[in-house]
Amino acid sequence: MEPSLFSKPRDLFIDVVNPRDYVQIDSVSHIYQSLKTSVQKPLKMILLYGRPGTGKSMLLHKLHHDLSKHQKVCMIDIPIIDEDDFLRVLAQKIYSYASREALTLTRFLELSSAVNFPVIPIVLLDEAQLYSAALMEKIRLISDARALKFVITLHKTDNEDIIAKEHFQTRIWESIELHNASYEELKIYIQKKLLKANCFDVANMINDKNIKLISKLTRGNYRDSNKLMFALFSLYTWYEEHNPSKIKYNALSRKWIEMAAIHTGLIHA
Amino acid sequence: MLDIAKLERRWLKYKIKSMIPYSLMVTAVIILGFTLPLVLSHNASTTPLASLKESTLKSKTPLPAHAKNDEKSIILEPSMQFLQSMNVPSPSVDSVNAVPMSTTPSKPLTPQPQIETTSLPPIAKPLQAPVQKGKLTSIKRDDAAFDIHELEERFKNNSNPNLGLYIARYHYDHGNYTESYNYALKTNAINSTMDESWLIFAKSLVKLGKEDQAKKTLQLYISNSNSQSAKNYLDTLSKESSK
Repeated sequence: MEPSLFSKPRDLFIDVVNPRDYVQIDSVSHIYQSLKTSVQKPLKMILLYGRPGTGKSMLLHKLHHDLSKHQKVCMIDIPIIDEDDFLRVLAQKIYSYASREALTLTRFLELSSAVNFPVIPIVLLDEAQLYSAALMEKIRLISDARALKFVITLHKTDNEDIIAKEHFQTRIWESIELHNASYEELKIYIQKKLLKANCFDVANMINDKNIKLISKLTRGNYRDSNKLMFALFSLYTWYEEHNPSKIKYNALSRKWIEMAAIHTGLIHA
Repeated sequence: MLDIAKLERRWLKYKIKSMIPYSLMVTAVIILGFTLPLVLSHNASTTPLASLKESTLKSKTPLPAHAKNDEKSIILEPSMQFLQSMNVPSPSVDSVNAVPMSTTPSKPLTPQPQIETTSLPPIAKPLQAPVQKGKLTSIKRDDAAFDIHELEERFKNNSNPNLGLYIARYHYDHGNYTESYNYALKTNAINSTMDESWLIFAKSLVKLGKEDQAKKTLQLYISNSNSQSAKNYLDTLSKESSK
């Protein structure tokens, strides 16, 4: 059986955060460089915020991937809501201190002063909006004691300005906001993803009108764009198998883009 | 798993739904197109000034009794009942604070409403400044440039015709016609059956002012491939040059 032309592009857009899939786009790359520079500074907290689907988690994973080669970095991508568990996991991951008992903040700080690292370890916290105020206070105290550096990501919502929250007002040295992709950026994102995986023939099928439609439907949201492209190439794979005469190879079908948008819920029909 | 049949139905439903406003507009325009000339032609036959004069004359001249009865059914008289209703106080108005209305226009109809001010606690400082000690990194969004050189390097190494076509198209779209010509030429040399690559090749030649060479190339390609898109483009070129 011949391999499907569209199954590879389809799998490229599976919505998983993998630093190997990081696509370099000028603005994001600029942000990433700024983040990397900030991490090297003697800062306590760095905040990365933006709407869902703007690539915060991807940047955090990329940072983890790159920094862990040179220094101690601890990534907590699934929030640990329990305060005791949080300190215990940190102690285990950073200081290799395993304990079944609850760890107090004082004990944790004692541990940190007992262990010497050439560079202050970095903790990367994803989805920090899920942490309680009490836990955030502990995080603040740990960072104030310069035991650890924190890079945290937060969702920015319409209802509240999260970065204005009490804990972040005075503690954050630097905050970086991520935005949705512009039309040009989305075009580069999709094309680069395809070209990186040698899907040249499919990359050739995508024209400006297609990108405009995709950008309009997803509003430049990377997660939605991934979902839409995945659904679109799933459709193409299906037609390739069941009704190949319907496929036109000179451009992506507007109808199928809309069908994919209906399937992913971007169009309510 | 995708349910294609269901998706197709939903898409059709969505298309019909999205077309409704347009179809209503088109219908309205068509109706207007038909009715407007009729109305205009009717108005033109009876000039408004003449009809007005006629009607005023009719109202002034005494009419016979039977004719008067007929006119009564036609002439509309303004109802003065609303004046009576104005005298009745509206139920929605607060009767305690209401001031009797004066007919003299110089006086204000109602007393100026007194705004009751209660001393509010001072508004807390708005939660806007996220960073007091630190700085906010503002990232300027500029149109990211595509790293075409990296692709060109890859093309050098793998000679993939699809990648060659991609680069040729990229250069053509960006107005680099010499580059698009070069890459289309290289692509054609690797795979001579790619319609689009030949078209970009011919189009680049036209942009470079070598229309005759473009035509010759297209003719040669058509004789080998019988490509419809190449034929169409050749026809367009021939028509343009004959003009």
